[in-house]
Amino acid sequence: MKLLRAEFHNFRLLRDLELEFSSDPVRKLTVVRAANESGKTTILHGLQWALYGDAALPGKGEGFRLHPIDWEASESKRVPITATVEFELTTYRRTSGTMRETRRRYRIVRSAFEDVDSQVRRSGSTVKLFALNDSGASPIDAPEALINDELPPELREVFFTDGDRALSFIEADVALSTKRERVQRAIRSLLGLGVIDDAIKHVYKSASEVNKKAKQVGSGSELNKIASRLEAMEDTREKLDADLEDAKQQFGAFDEKVEELDRKIEAALQKGDKEKLRKDLDHAKREIKQLDDQLAAANKEHSALFRGRSIATDLLAPVLGRAFEKLEELHEQGKIPNTTIPVLQDRLATEICICGETLKAGDLGGDKRRAHIQKLIDDSQRADEIQEIITDLYYSAKPLQGERDDGSSAWLEEYRKVVERRDGIQALRDEAGRKFRALELQLDSLPDTDIQGLRETRRQYKDQRNRYLSNQSALETQLTGLRREREEREAERDRLLREQKKGARILAELEVTQDVMKVLQTAYKRITNEELQKVSELMNSIFLEMIGADPEQGAIIRRAEISQEFDIIVYGPNDRTLNPDRDLNGASRRALTLAFILALTKVSEVEAPNVIDTPLGMTSGFVKRSILRTAVRESAQLILFLTHDEIAGCEEIIDEAAGVVFTLTNPAHYPRMLVNDPGIRGKVLRCACDHRGECPLCMRHADAQVELEAAS
Amino acid sequence: MADRYFNPFQAIDINVPVVFHEAFTRYCQRSADAVIDQSPFPRMVDLWFLSVCVATRMELEPADIAKYDTRKIIDGSIFGSDPWRVHTMMLIAIGRTGDVQIVSEPRKMMALANGLAVAGLPKVIEMLQEGDAEPIWNLSDAVDTLLRKEKAV
Repeated sequence: MKLLRAEFHNFRLLRDLELEFSSDPVRKLTVVRAANESGKTTILHGLQWALYGDAALPGKGEGFRLHPIDWEASESKRVPITATVEFELTTYRRTSGTMRETRRRYRIVRSAFEDVDSQVRRSGSTVKLFALNDSGASPIDAPEALINDELPPELREVFFTDGDRALSFIEADVALSTKRERVQRAIRSLLGLGVIDDAIKHVYKSASEVNKKAKQVGSGSELNKIASRLEAMEDTREKLDADLEDAKQQFGAFDEKVEELDRKIEAALQKGDKEKLRKDLDHAKREIKQLDDQLAAANKEHSALFRGRSIATDLLAPVLGRAFEKLEELHEQGKIPNTTIPVLQDRLATEICICGETLKAGDLGGDKRRAHIQKLIDDSQRADEIQEIITDLYYSAKPLQGERDDGSSAWLEEYRKVVERRDGIQALRDEAGRKFRALELQLDSLPDTDIQGLRETRRQYKDQRNRYLSNQSALETQLTGLRREREEREAERDRLLREQKKGARILAELEVTQDVMKVLQTAYKRITNEELQKVSELMNSIFLEMIGADPEQGAIIRRAEISQEFDIIVYGPNDRTLNPDRDLNGASRRALTLAFILALTKVSEVEAPNVIDTPLGMTSGFVKRSILRTAVRESAQLILFLTHDEIAGCEEIIDEAAGVVFTLTNPAHYPRMLVNDPGIRGKVLRCACDHRGECPLCMRHADAQVELEAAS
Repeated sequence: MADRYFNPFQAIDINVPVVFHEAFTRYCQRSADAVIDQSPFPRMVDLWFLSVCVATRMELEPADIAKYDTRKIIDGSIFGSDPWRVHTMMLIAIGRTGDVQIVSEPRKMMALANGLAVAGLPKVIEMLQEGDAEPIWNLSDAVDTLLRKEKAV
């Protein structure tokens, strides 16, 4: 899918706005230049609302106003809101051995009404899809189905990305499980694993049907009882699975709400002149996070003590000693040849002996020495298979002997260091926890009702979040127990079926369903793992290319990967894991999330747009240019909303790659930021100025001047 | 030299008595967010190998695997990532039998190592469980004691 055009009416700031996007396969970049508060994020919401409806709005659209805030009730008490998106789909069809490419254009229109009296009330939106052709537009039924196929809603955040929100895949503020769930959801949707999911559900149903037959065979018997029990267990499993999915989603939703309230409390503290307390809290939180990371690393070091060489060599010292004595004996007896063959062969090739004498053929002394060396090589090569293994062992196992000869126990020394480190960090962590609790008490005693209200809501959300987490654990435990019991009952049922005359056929049917189930589950796992690997590798190469020009980060970042548990992990020297929050600068964090998004889109092989709001914030210089250049190369259609600052320094790349560039201006920025009065308020205006141009409408005061005025 | 002997155990599976499977599940980390203090071993092979080492250190006799109902838990290819373990197992075989010829018989060496592992597993499980702290600390203290005691002797 490629986006061609969009049109908005009364969608917040976008009272009346039309946009075009580049669909040129070479100049595939569209740049929408807009200062902050000029409708960039609103366009991102508008595009998604058109395609996916209220579910794509913040908070699923609940309490989210769509009409312009300055709408005069005198104009009308009922505001019509419309968002239109035109897009192109390319399909491929094989005809007589050649691929035939067809492009079709579509228009999706979504509209809703909002009442503007006391409270915002929005009617359910209406959506229509039209196929466009030369003669006009033909309506198409079930527009959602087409959109779901082309731009799966689960991948919405991959195709439509808010530069800051994209960090949610790696940011540390949300729970690990929430980040993991986001990455996992994105990857699974990308692979279209819904089809296999449906097939698994279908096989479960078939197995239930066959189980019913088993019940009939053994009417009134033990077999009947077991089959009935299995039937009931299947119903329970379905319910538990659904409850578990719900608990996971609710946990994620409340986790995000807690995070949002943290930001609000921070903002309220800033406003309420509690800057010191806010800073102290912020500092305490960071300190706790850092110490928790250090503790986790120390725990890993402790665990590594049980997989390292030291514990083995120390424990095995007596027996290794005996083995080495044996090998040493053989060596002394000359049964272990020296590993000098390559050296000797090299000398023969260079025709100069180790002692400096010539080894030239034809020279009298040279020939003699050559013959001697050749004999040494031949003798060594005659060593039999066992000698070969022993020789290899003798030389390769030297490090194990070295550690033993050291006298002291290497493991005990490593263990002592780990204990010191763990205890030291734990003491600091306890202290940091005490400090944080004291600050929280200070916060509790603040008379500010806004802050207390927010904190109370946060407490409630956190309680809810924890309840869902606890529910999740309980459900997982129940499912494990159920699975085990089911396996036992199934084995018993199959045994009883074997004893029945009519049982053989039913048993065969059951075996088929079980085999199909196994195949599907293995396929599911395998596809996920293989594709995960592809996304991981591509993300790594894009990421490293993006940050390659940054000497500061280049020195500490070695690689990034997505683990089997769907965690995005960055590694530093010696495979040390880096904390994206602490060890990566803003530019690298942004590069990492963009690399993930671009890799996902690319691996999906879906031709889809990447619409990204402020992708270059917090970046500068070479890294900024590198991010832009790589993003243009990796995306099928790239639509970027950029501020003037983000564009600075990247003009030449945009000259080269952009097919469409235009500028949006918010008239409310006059007179502080705009030079001329646009003579109109309350809606975003568009002009044709590109990233280098300026017109009376979009002309802005120089940044320095604006800052100076603001300061005075 | 002798690249083909780099991992002679490549094609040999490690089968462990079913009675110990729960211990492997409990004490080995099965996901990235495992609680390390409760599950000290990064992989199953680490618990298995420590059992070999403990049995060797305590001079236990290898257990008779044939007496047990066993299941595969580890694939021999895992030693490819830790070549030093291959060497250690060869050295144990030489040290225990006094016969260097054994190095050309990977199955014999593995049978010896696995017999030692099965003999050592109850000891390691005891080390994990005996004490008032979490398994990682109990085990660490027990290994510490084992190494010091032998040194003092």
